[in-house]
Amino acid sequence: MSEDPIYVIDIEGLVKRYKGRVNPTLNALSLKVERGSLFGLVAPNGAGKSTTIEIMCGLKSFDSGSVKINGLSVKDSLSVIKTIIGLVPQDIALFPSLTGRENLRVIGGIYGIDSVELKPRIEELLAQFGLTNSADKPVNEFSGGMKRRINLIAGLIHRPQILILDEPTVGVDAQSRNLILEELVKINRGGTTVMFISHYLEEAETICDRVALMDGGKIVLEGNPAELTKQHPDCKNLESLYFKLTGKQMRDTYE
Amino acid sequence: MSRDMSSFKEVIKSNISGVNTFFAGIRRVFFGRMRYLLLKDFIMLRRDIGGIILMFVMPIVLVVLMANLQESTFNVVKGVKIPLFLVNNDVDELGSAIEREIESSGVFEITRGEGSSVSEMEMKISASEYLLGIFIPKGATQKIKGNVQRYVLSAFNGIEKAPLKEDVKLTIVVDPTANGSFYALIMSTIHEKAQKVQFAFIMKEITSQVNDISPVVISADNFSGEQFTVDAKFAIPQESNIVPNAVQHNIPAWSLFAIFFIVVSLASNIIKEREGGSFTRLLTMPCTYTEYLLSKAIIYLVVALLQFAIMLLIGFYLIPYIGLPALEPGHSLFALIFMALSAAVAAIGYGIAIGNIARTNQQASVFGAVSVVIFAAVGGIWIPIFVMSPLMQVISRFSPLNWGMSGFYQIFLRDEGLLSVLPYGGALLLFGTICFIAALLYKSRCSHYS
Repeated sequence: MSEDPIYVIDIEGLVKRYKGRVNPTLNALSLKVERGSLFGLVAPNGAGKSTTIEIMCGLKSFDSGSVKINGLSVKDSLSVIKTIIGLVPQDIALFPSLTGRENLRVIGGIYGIDSVELKPRIEELLAQFGLTNSADKPVNEFSGGMKRRINLIAGLIHRPQILILDEPTVGVDAQSRNLILEELVKINRGGTTVMFISHYLEEAETICDRVALMDGGKIVLEGNPAELTKQHPDCKNLESLYFKLTGKQMRDTYE
Repeated sequence: MSRDMSSFKEVIKSNISGVNTFFAGIRRVFFGRMRYLLLKDFIMLRRDIGGIILMFVMPIVLVVLMANLQESTFNVVKGVKIPLFLVNNDVDELGSAIEREIESSGVFEITRGEGSSVSEMEMKISASEYLLGIFIPKGATQKIKGNVQRYVLSAFNGIEKAPLKEDVKLTIVVDPTANGSFYALIMSTIHEKAQKVQFAFIMKEITSQVNDISPVVISADNFSGEQFTVDAKFAIPQESNIVPNAVQHNIPAWSLFAIFFIVVSLASNIIKEREGGSFTRLLTMPCTYTEYLLSKAIIYLVVALLQFAIMLLIGFYLIPYIGLPALEPGHSLFALIFMALSAAVAAIGYGIAIGNIARTNQQASVFGAVSVVIFAAVGGIWIPIFVMSPLMQVISRFSPLNWGMSGFYQIFLRDEGLLSVLPYGGALLLFGTICFIAALLYKSRCSHYS
């Protein structure tokens, strides 16, 4: 009988090169995310966050290294991995002409959720994120905050073991941001491993029990946010620590 | 023996189990996630009002308009509608005979202008008062009579040299706005009538001159100028009810055009999903790229067949209401269904290829629409291929709409069956399959999809 691995995300020496670029986008990236943790991956633009997510979800190939999700290699077991992961992309990746409910019905159905179970699950999530009354409007008529929330629900509908969120709070008001962060903590407490990817160090510092700072395609620092700042008393918070380690030069300039 | 039997049973058992697994897989796909992909594509299409207008309303308007226009052009030629200005300055036997023939044709509305000159007649035509003018010069009868008299006398006196001949010049002036085919039709009608009058008149004059010389009176009264009859008919089986007309051409032509126009909606649909990110989400879910495309293909196949059915219904029921003959669908329902399916597959494959290769929605819409219009133009939707230049006729062979039209002509104009449309439908199916494979190959080169 095989036991569930401790690390639900286990990346070792991951290298990804794009044609025409001198430096690899991912430069021997190694990352381990423990089961049940709320893990923050913080990096500037162009550091390779999106490429890492795309590789984890099987959307992109990689040159070398290994990527395992729940002990399964993405190269060999992608169809199983797809059912384990819930991805909340940075773009509002929904069908804009479909209503909120229709979107969730379609997405839930594709995940194979039985229609008897799907309807109450949709209503439960809509209520949880305050969208019950607006869910019959087409998504393209939603406000920015509502779009973010329904985008998040779409990643949660199939009760994934691992929830990966790429900048889930970009462009939303303070209330929506607060609701999203609170719900993420609740979801994590319910047993779901959450990988939270953001530019905002402050958000990661507040909600994550572990963070990794990424720069130049690799992890430059990893640990518990409180412990990290304690280890560097000259830095008042994670942001100043990050600047100390990586400098203030822009990262997404043309190579 | 019993060992053989048991191994045979095992083989049968494993085959049955394989078949069961296969059907279970199909059931899982079509009643599982495929059902939801289809639902998604159906709702998206239903809410795309612009696309629906483009795919359903535009072809209906086009078919009614074009069939009506083509038929009315034909009716103008057939009916007594062409205004003609006739200047008969001869006022003698020839002039009267021409006048009688023109009147009896029933094609012209004649206004007489005796005494007018050629330039006066030309002015009236160029001012578009009349579409056509005919000028018969003064003394035309007398000049022809003189020519015949001199000819007969030379013949009876054994003179080999051709006698002096006075030219009789009839002038015909046509409005320059009259189009080429109309002009050709009018001129052939005028020539036919002129030949008839000329023949009858010369025959009568020769008889009259010969009677002056000959002691025996010869009569040409019972001689008919029409020594042979022409039996023109269309190469269609005798039992067929089909009569080639504008409806028999336009219904299949615009149905085909409409089916191919789904390319714009389909390609744009694929690109919108790609640009919006929902396509990426689908690929992170338990959904393969082939399933994603298959769902779209099924929805648009239904759309294409619906378009075709609506166009047929218009041909059967609406077209007769606007005074045109009803569509005759031929005898082979299988041929009809096969051609409609083949055209739909070709259009869907082409749309999927454009949707995958084009980078933006604008690119797909412009390229999709323009390429279908070009395919239609060279494929014989608007003008028949036989009137094209030799080079264009060669180019037209590469248009899928030409293959479609050729197949539909077998059904709607020649009343042929499934066997005769197989090459055309086969070419369309092959085209659609090649486009589909090209799209998959292109995508797999650019991305890493499961």
